[in-house]
Amino acid sequence: METARKAQEGRCVSPMSRIREEEGKVVVQLEVPGVKKDNVSVSIEDDQLQIFAARQDESVEGNYLIRERNCGSYEKYFTIDKSIDRDSINASMENGVLTIILQFKEEVKPRKIELKS
Amino acid sequence: MDLVRGRQGKNLDPMGDFERLQNEINNLFNFDYQGNRGLFDRPASPPVDVIEKAESLVIRCDMPGIRKEDLDLSLARNVLTIKGEKKPEEGNDDAKKYRNETWSGVFQRTIALPDSVDPNKVEADLHDGVLEIAIAKREEVKPRHINVKVS
Repeated sequence: METARKAQEGRCVSPMSRIREEEGKVVVQLEVPGVKKDNVSVSIEDDQLQIFAARQDESVEGNYLIRERNCGSYEKYFTIDKSIDRDSINASMENGVLTIILQFKEEVKPRKIELKS
Repeated sequence: MDLVRGRQGKNLDPMGDFERLQNEINNLFNFDYQGNRGLFDRPASPPVDVIEKAESLVIRCDMPGIRKEDLDLSLARNVLTIKGEKKPEEGNDDAKKYRNETWSGVFQRTIALPDSVDPNKVEADLHDGVLEIAIAKREEVKPRHINVKVS
């Protein structure tokens, strides 16, 4: 968490993202290559979803022949609305992709109403 | 009266200041800020770093969301080829999409390596979405330490 916070101080880039809505939830995926699971911080402050991810693999001494990758850590803010349940947010990392699952509140989810005969 | 504010504990070094300024300017151009890229400037293949170290050549490649099975590396006559496929996101197609900045598809990248590397000593590793390939240099080009005896 601490290292993730430090990301704010250095240069940050905003990661490429992908957001889709599935049944009863919103899935946010961010591409954060080079970030270990422990260096990610996902938090909610008021209506803001804050994501910091600190990059750790940038310590190579040598002569760069090609340099295309961006350096620096990742930072992204999303504003979320009232329909999202703040207490059931899940985040996971796999292959450099951070997946955050935001559940809708129960009262917003579509309900099936049984018909009584 | 001091006209030029001196740094504490350091002598005035005007040429050093110029050098620092030049480094700052050089760094400015090195920095590739992804957030500032335009719509059509997105990378069509994963970005690569090639770093030459004293005893090896390190190649790093950002590959978020690419699995080991979908990657194919080959080295022939000092030309390294990275082939792979980034699978599109799984899930049903009728899901409501809010945003998609990522790309998917097949990519290929060839990198001509300097003659100094040894194609038989290659190690590749994929972790946290970064592919790292280390190729050792040939023994005869590695820096050697030679002790000179003074009689």
